[in-house]
Amino acid sequence: YSQPFPNMSQLSTALGGLSGVPELEMEALMPVNLLQERSLLPVRPLEAPEPNLSSELKKVNCSPQTFRCTLSSIPQTQALLNKARLPLGLLLHPFRDLQQLPVITSNTIVRCRSCRTYINPFVSFLDQRRWKCNLCYRVNDVPDEFMYNPVTRSYGEPHKRPEVQNATVEFIASSDYMLRPPQPAVYLFVLDVSHNAVEAGYLQHFCDSLLDNLDKLPGDTRMRVGFLTFDSTVHFYNLQEGLSQPQMLVVSDIDDIFIPSHDSLMVSLKDSMELVKDLLGALPSMFRESRETHSALGPALQAAHQLMSPTGGRVSVFQTQLPSLGAGLLQSREDPNQRSSSKGVQHLGPATDFYKKLALDCSGQQIAVDLFLLSSQYADLASLACVSKYSAGSIFYYPSYHHVHNPAQRDKFRKDLDRYLSRKIGFEAVMRIRCTKGLSIHTFHGNFFVRSTDLLSLANVNPDSAFAVQMSIDDSLVDSSLACFQAALLYTSSKGKRRIRVHTLCLPVVSQLSDVFAGADVQAITCLLANMAIDRSVSSSLSDARDALLNAVVDGLSVYRNTVSSLQQHGLVAPDNLRLFPIYILALLKQKALRTGASTRLDERVFAMCEFKTQPLQQAMRMVYPDMYRIDTMSDQGALHLNDTVVPQPRLLHLSAERLSRDGAFLLDCGSVFYLWVGKCVNEMFIRDVLGCPNYASIPPNMTEIPELETTLSARVRAFLDWLQDNRAFSSLFYVVREDASANSSFFQHMVEDRSEMGLSYHEFLQNLLQQMSK
Amino acid sequence: MATFPEFISQNEERDGVRFSWNVWPSSRLEATRMVVPVAALVTPLRERPDLPPIQYEPVLCSRATCRAVLNPLCQVDYRAKLWACNFCYQRNQFPPTYAGISEVNQPAELLPQFSTIEYVVQRGPQMPLIFLYVVDTCMEDDDLQALKESLQMSLSLLPPTALVGLITFGRMVQVHELGCEGISKSYVFRGTKDLSAKQLQEMLGLTKPSAAQGARGQQAPQQPLSNRFLQPVQKIDMNLTDLLGELQRDPWPVTQGKRPLRSLGVAMSIAVGLLECTFPNTGARIMTFIGGPATQGPGMVVGDELKTPIRSWHDIEKDNAKYMKKATKHYEALASRASSNGHIMDVYACALDQTGLLEMKCCSNHTGGYMVMADSFNTSLFKQTFQRVFTKDVQGAFKMAFAATLEIKTSREIKVSGAIGPCVSLNAKGPCVSENEIGTGGTCQWKMCGLDQSTTLALYFEVVNQHNAPIPQGGRGALQFVTQYQHSSGQRRIRVTTTARNWADAQTQIQTIAASFDQEAAAILMARLAVQRAESEEGPDVLRWLDRQLIRLCQKFGDYHKDDPNSFRFSETFSLYPQFMFHLRRSPFLQVFNNSPDESSYYRHQFIRHDLTQALIMVQPVLYAYSFNGPPEPVLLDSSSILPDRILLMDTFFQILIYHGEMVAQWRKAGYQEMSEYENFRHLLQAPVDDAQELLHTRFPMPRYIDTEHGGSQARFLLSKVNPSQTHNNMYTWGQESGAPILTDDVSLQVFMDHLKKLAVSSAA
Ligand SMILES: [Zn+2]
Ligand SMILES: [Zn+2]
Repeated sequence: YSQPFPNMSQLSTALGGLSGVPELEMEALMPVNLLQERSLLPVRPLEAPEPNLSSELKKVNCSPQTFRCTLSSIPQTQALLNKARLPLGLLLHPFRDLQQLPVITSNTIVRCRSCRTYINPFVSFLDQRRWKCNLCYRVNDVPDEFMYNPVTRSYGEPHKRPEVQNATVEFIASSDYMLRPPQPAVYLFVLDVSHNAVEAGYLQHFCDSLLDNLDKLPGDTRMRVGFLTFDSTVHFYNLQEGLSQPQMLVVSDIDDIFIPSHDSLMVSLKDSMELVKDLLGALPSMFRESRETHSALGPALQAAHQLMSPTGGRVSVFQTQLPSLGAGLLQSREDPNQRSSSKGVQHLGPATDFYKKLALDCSGQQIAVDLFLLSSQYADLASLACVSKYSAGSIFYYPSYHHVHNPAQRDKFRKDLDRYLSRKIGFEAVMRIRCTKGLSIHTFHGNFFVRSTDLLSLANVNPDSAFAVQMSIDDSLVDSSLACFQAALLYTSSKGKRRIRVHTLCLPVVSQLSDVFAGADVQAITCLLANMAIDRSVSSSLSDARDALLNAVVDGLSVYRNTVSSLQQHGLVAPDNLRLFPIYILALLKQKALRTGASTRLDERVFAMCEFKTQPLQQAMRMVYPDMYRIDTMSDQGALHLNDTVVPQPRLLHLSAERLSRDGAFLLDCGSVFYLWVGKCVNEMFIRDVLGCPNYASIPPNMTEIPELETTLSARVRAFLDWLQDNRAFSSLFYVVREDASANSSFFQHMVEDRSEMGLSYHEFLQNLLQQMSK
Repeated sequence: MATFPEFISQNEERDGVRFSWNVWPSSRLEATRMVVPVAALVTPLRERPDLPPIQYEPVLCSRATCRAVLNPLCQVDYRAKLWACNFCYQRNQFPPTYAGISEVNQPAELLPQFSTIEYVVQRGPQMPLIFLYVVDTCMEDDDLQALKESLQMSLSLLPPTALVGLITFGRMVQVHELGCEGISKSYVFRGTKDLSAKQLQEMLGLTKPSAAQGARGQQAPQQPLSNRFLQPVQKIDMNLTDLLGELQRDPWPVTQGKRPLRSLGVAMSIAVGLLECTFPNTGARIMTFIGGPATQGPGMVVGDELKTPIRSWHDIEKDNAKYMKKATKHYEALASRASSNGHIMDVYACALDQTGLLEMKCCSNHTGGYMVMADSFNTSLFKQTFQRVFTKDVQGAFKMAFAATLEIKTSREIKVSGAIGPCVSLNAKGPCVSENEIGTGGTCQWKMCGLDQSTTLALYFEVVNQHNAPIPQGGRGALQFVTQYQHSSGQRRIRVTTTARNWADAQTQIQTIAASFDQEAAAILMARLAVQRAESEEGPDVLRWLDRQLIRLCQKFGDYHKDDPNSFRFSETFSLYPQFMFHLRRSPFLQVFNNSPDESSYYRHQFIRHDLTQALIMVQPVLYAYSFNGPPEPVLLDSSSILPDRILLMDTFFQILIYHGEMVAQWRKAGYQEMSEYENFRHLLQAPVDDAQELLHTRFPMPRYIDTEHGGSQARFLLSKVNPSQTHNNMYTWGQESGAPILTDDVSLQVFMDHLKKLAVSSAA
């Protein structure tokens, strides 16, 4: 499913014939002398660039949080794209939680008769009864029903229908969109109960969380649940309504796994609620005495597949170690001595195709497998992750999980579960991405099964997963000034309704290289490049992937210097909108997924790779280049006023130790982790009013939350933290790091602009770029 | 000296042994001319409430090849404190504990009244009793409900220390872990895959130390007396009662036209395997309850297509019983494993159709297990029978015994050829073993995993003394039966019976030998041989063999003139024997017509294990008549006994049948019994019912109770048993003034006897 990374350096000399004079007026293209400019960061996190469209189109265009392109101006031809040497691709977050979503129920869903595009704000009406498709240009009739506008309750205004007024809409689909009656919400939980799992102690927290969330599980009265546990054997649970207590059925024949009972293992939650509660109450203690060290994960997954095949649904797997028995057993492949090697990193790919095959079988039955790995030892995530990757599942990883020794992970796990269990879910979904004639998709990134060139099978779809798509331009777009992309997600809601969520993005088509550059979206580019680099590090090697990243920035800046910018500047210049390109690429090279030199556990690296593939852009960018703020001196100036809360908005800081000061407290937001770095000489009031400690020396070394104190400063800090937290799906770990603590190093690893065992400082990196460019 | 009938009865009372001959022909050649071999019916644990168990161990002959037990027949030198073995003549020193013995101070085992004595072994651990329930769940709800209630009830009958276990099966097989709190737990196995004991042990996690044991720390490893699957009833009876209560019908759907998939073969295999790996050589009962035939996996006897019926005798004769051989092999292998570990396999088959008892019979027959057959679990036949398994004796101990071995010691002149009964060979060779094998032979020791007070082995002997080696005047042949068993109290016990019979020279003392003939014992001993043959030979061949033996016996011991049938006379000791043979020929043990293979197996199973009295009833049912003409009286099993003004009570062992004659039936219909002036009629009706109840309450297994009348459809059971003295073939000569004609082509006893006499006196024979 991955295609070769296009080699940027192959395109080195294609720019010779370029002669047009770029429009220097364009702010985006203002040259920035990187070697001189030391403050490149905006005050607040970067926004997506606005496409150069008419204000009417801008108004209805799809939100960049949902749909975003690396180039907000689409090059007219592949030749022009090649000249720009910037990647073209889409970043898509199709099922994200929305505050507002127009839902349309109508007998006919209006679509282009030729290319099946859904009618959208960017079609054109030739007259009242005809519209022209914006993707294939076919002229279609407007059906009678469409002449009535349910919003205005008037006739004859088809262009005012909600489908034509909103770039994101959802249709209630008719039976034409069903291959079978919509499936009920079905959830199967597969739980590791080996000795290792008991030691890690996750089971209690899982059961508590599920008990808390039973009434929040999305679904209607048809909802069904089931449980499997496993160690060296696989255990099923008969929860048939009417039993006085749950029945555990142990299947020891793991080489020939089978379903031990009929129709009583996946039960209606409504009917068997008490038994489910009994089971969740009993599970944690049932295995407390277990001495069973083996893990038959593969057979348990085979059993899950068999159990779920009749309905499809969601399988949530909780695993705490390397599977050691039966199909899919794995051996340790990690050499701890090689963790900080600067040479190649081995074993980024799966050791067996078992998990991929199983995932494909699951996908075929509309089953998605979500993996929760809670392991303190190497568990070969590179192999295990396949079970989720190819079944459109999610992957969660809690390294060094321990219910006592690692309270931060424990709390995160609890909170993540709360989100996971209650978040929206779609079943038996497919997503098709259509684009204006001439454009085509060549590679997808994310967790899914590719059914055809533009169609993804998503057994489950969740609001937290994103996708990326690499595009190419097959035919010239010269006849058109606009290019459109439409993503249509057909899914079954947890209430058993077939629905189609449609997003349409419209972008201008440009013929000038400078216009292409002016529309470049540095964050989208970085994210797409990260996805490409990860594929490449698995299919080729990590060093190839790192070289490609370096080449991408070298190429991009070279093209700009040589062709777009008219100034024959010395030194290193970047257009204003790409001024963070080098810094982001440097950060990416030091990111866990792609770094070398620093000790990196294989599973943690692989997990970071998985995250890049599925995280929405904003979250992925924090993984690349975390947001850092000084918070001891935050004021209400420029603060947001949300309801009753005043949320301060401190400015972003560059990730370098020289931006820190001993008399300050700095918050580093890495997406899934917050670090609060406290300098030795920080104001005692901050320590007292925010951390609740009498003085610096008494700040405990393992502080993982800040107390709720009745002080202005505390309220201000907490308001800011809560605001940050509320804007993401999953809760982040929180660590208070004292300047003198040993935990410092994990904080300083993120100071990517400084020189470290992971590589060059930002300044050195720029010098290196310059050198590369002059070759 | 007492008469032979008295002698026989005394010996039976005391020793539980009945011989075909009570005086033995002294040479091999003469012995073979007796037609009926020297043989014995031995009931090793015949009820002896008067027998005090001896609290020390038996004294054994020191000769390694003998090891006979000191007994009243031994010569004792009280002064020298020596005893001479009566089997090998070895002179043995008494052990030091016997220092005080003298003529007036003899240990019990030397007293003549203790020719049968029981010792309690003091060493070794007390073993718990083990009951493993194997329960089919493929049955109708009310059947299952009835079964569950019976099983729950049985828990209250078990001694509190007994270990119990539960395996259920349908399409899958479940081994239930007992005593789990808050959740019930079972291990599930496919019903199509057989597992070795070792595989099973691993899959049940019995190879690993349990967490609880591990957690308790450094205690010395003990022989575990229970495990998760077999636990003391006192600990888990509530839990198990609940578990049984929750049992539901097999949840897998059964489509129209199909039988449920029933994994009986694997379920039994797992039961055997579980005990094999946890309690080898310990008394245990595997009690299997089935509501239909095995339809999948090893041991299946029929496919799941309902349109294909289960094999009939016809199919078997035509070699058209697709699954029979393979299934039989499966169950034989299980029976062999179970018996070598001392484990009993009971089969309770309750279904209207056959369930595969033919294929499974070895399980019960080889292990001394019970085989019970009924139409449904919701019948008193099953319920009462099952309850009776747990009957206790006056000491409050179960009447069942476990893991027994029976060993035989013989005098030099006689050897043992083999045994027929619920046992397997222990392959113990020795000087007592004859080369001529009869039944289970080639050994002087047999294993009987399960036995009760009625369990009876037929033992066949061979006189090996040569004609030219006369036995000294007054010499006696001696036999010793040593039965070691696990008493239901958990004790190991040894019961020793020593018995002797006089030798006689057949050429000079043939009358003495003939007078010692026990025709009842002989009939049953010959019948066991015939039933044994019937398992492997064609029916007509067996009948021919049986007839030939009878003719030869008549020729040898009858009084007649050659070629003059009317001159034939049999002495009193032989007079009933031909009649026994007549009824045996017609019995379901030898006739398969009208019986299914399962029924035949069932009847033969019962016949081959019960004692003489009950076996005789099975061969020749008992008929009593009730009328106004006098007190109830036994009458001939003959159609002439069927009269309009009589009520008949027939006991076939398997059935208790009350038959109301034509008039009686009419009176009953008219309701005379309700009228006070006909109180005597009410009493007449009640009398056979009371007698029937008495039989129903004591017999195991409980008989089928039939109440019928003249012209009733169930009257056929009576008509098929009585001698058809009046049939449509001869009714014109007999007229219709008395008796009821029988519509049968069977020959009558009269015709049979006429034939027999003709053949016996024929010089051509
Ligand atoms: Zn179109
Ligand atoms: Zn001896």
